[in-house]
Amino acid sequence: MDLVRHLECFVAVAEESHFGRAAARLGMAQPPLSQRIQRLERELGVRLFERTSRQVRITEAGRLLLAEARELLARSDSFLATARRVRDGETGLLRAALPPDLSGETVAALLADFGRRHRGLELELHELPTAQQLARLAAHELDVGVVNHPCDVSGLELGPVLRRELGVLLPRGAAAAGLDEVPLAALSGYDLILFPRTAAPALYDDLLTACARGGYTPAAVRHGQGASFVRGLVLSAGAVALCPRDAQPPSAGDGDPDVVWRPLTGAPLAWRHSAAWSKGRGDAAVQAFAEAATHALRTTAGATPDAPTRPLHLRPASEYWL
Amino acid sequence: MTDALARIHAAFADAGVTGWLHAVGIDSGAQLDVGADRPVCTASVHKLCLLVTLHEHAAAGRLDLTEQVECPPAGRTAGPTGLAAMLDTVRMSLRDLALLMMTVSDNAAADLLLRRVGLDAVNATTARLGLTRTLAVHSFGEMLATVREDAGPGGARALADPHVITRLRALDPARTNRSTPRDMTRLLGAVWRDEACTPEHGAAVRRILGLQVWPHRLASGFPFDDVHVAGKTGSLPTLRNEVGVVEYPDGGRYAVAVFTRTAHTAATLPAADAVIGTAARIAVDALRAEELRTR
Repeated sequence: MDLVRHLECFVAVAEESHFGRAAARLGMAQPPLSQRIQRLERELGVRLFERTSRQVRITEAGRLLLAEARELLARSDSFLATARRVRDGETGLLRAALPPDLSGETVAALLADFGRRHRGLELELHELPTAQQLARLAAHELDVGVVNHPCDVSGLELGPVLRRELGVLLPRGAAAAGLDEVPLAALSGYDLILFPRTAAPALYDDLLTACARGGYTPAAVRHGQGASFVRGLVLSAGAVALCPRDAQPPSAGDGDPDVVWRPLTGAPLAWRHSAAWSKGRGDAAVQAFAEAATHALRTTAGATPDAPTRPLHLRPASEYWL
Repeated sequence: MTDALARIHAAFADAGVTGWLHAVGIDSGAQLDVGADRPVCTASVHKLCLLVTLHEHAAAGRLDLTEQVECPPAGRTAGPTGLAAMLDTVRMSLRDLALLMMTVSDNAAADLLLRRVGLDAVNATTARLGLTRTLAVHSFGEMLATVREDAGPGGARALADPHVITRLRALDPARTNRSTPRDMTRLLGAVWRDEACTPEHGAAVRRILGLQVWPHRLASGFPFDDVHVAGKTGSLPTLRNEVGVVEYPDGGRYAVAVFTRTAHTAATLPAADAVIGTAARIAVDALRAEELRTR
């Protein structure tokens, strides 16, 4: 018995609760599908579905087996993805990308860790903003990336989501620079230096919304990312920049006479990252890169697991309810 | 038309959504296509298919729309509006259940009606109307149950987690109720031309669609007292849809179907709701300009 194929049938019937629809989804006729389910039930010695004239309902036994069946199918996908890589002669190459906001230490730790996990695999690494990573993942021009959330995750699988709290870079002479922690509202009057919106549109909007909610609505947003450019604007242009503690310019430490980094009161802003790859293409190399990225962010950037903690009040126009 | 396409893409990008749209002049046949054949999750938009099925059965004498139904609170499908939110037993006619299903997207009313006509009947109706890419695979309660199951013990709060969003079956058109923007404008065109039902039933369907209460999506793009907007929304985590018909005082009638997906997992995103109206307006303006040129 081809177990994988039979389990695909089991999961499809369980999810569609209907033999005809499951058969359509699997691209097969209904009678062979019914036969496969019967064969699987015989082999396992377990009744998976209750069938009535109009309906198919999964049994309690079936429900107990469903999660493991899904897991087995996911593992089988991963196995096939590795086989595809081998077949296509891509064994030696993993195409990966990182966003521009990681620190040098994080990138170095990731590369060292990945090298240990996957000796002999060549890594083609790009520095790309989230929007471009998503486009290349969709076009299968990239095997794995590290993206900023929120972003459109359709068609993707993700590693654990991690957060890095943002602080603010400001001129030492600013009144707020005298505080241990800066409330967002104390930044009023300063322009904000931010990455261009096209790099990660949803994150850009999210940051500005959170700033406004905290009492800081910059009169102008200046677009810049390079450390020297940002430093120049902070020093001379009446602007402040947001960055996590681990990614502040080396000069912004206590020794810097001109620029200081301060945490924001109440940690209202964060960058949230995760590894991302196309659904069904998470082979061993992709998994190794995702794990190395997660590990590097945790150990070198102080990134912490991002579990939603705020209440979510669904309004009537949401139309759904849990 | 190319200018309109570019403007619609720009509007979607500005609002932080990916969108698919089809707009058709109901009488002229002029059309605008922005990924119109892309499979999409219908969510509550599928209630329109159920409404047409109900009226088809009524026209065939299989049921009487004034038939009274007893709706006890036990076993009601969950939802924030209508019967789904009520606490006590209600008795009402099939056609008033339909009114609640369409005007406030009442999930409990929808599932009562679905139980009455059956899922296969809804699919038979859409098939008869040539909507080959449209299929209902479960009831609204069953759809919400998959969201609950996939979200896990964290409940609604977990829906802010991108990880959870990637595993929601309700967001995968292959595994939930589905259609395409083009199929939906075809359905609306059939309703407005009285091809889907008899004129009497067509008028009833159009009346109900015109009574939908939500102002934030399709209707927001047409801030004109003399323009009539009728439609049905659909929503799930990260999904915002509306299909409807916009009628101008000069007789121009346009069926529009807009399906979107936000990058953000937030439930409250007014810009993402409004861009459905913005995109529809750009499309309708382009269709009206096209009709003027070719008249």
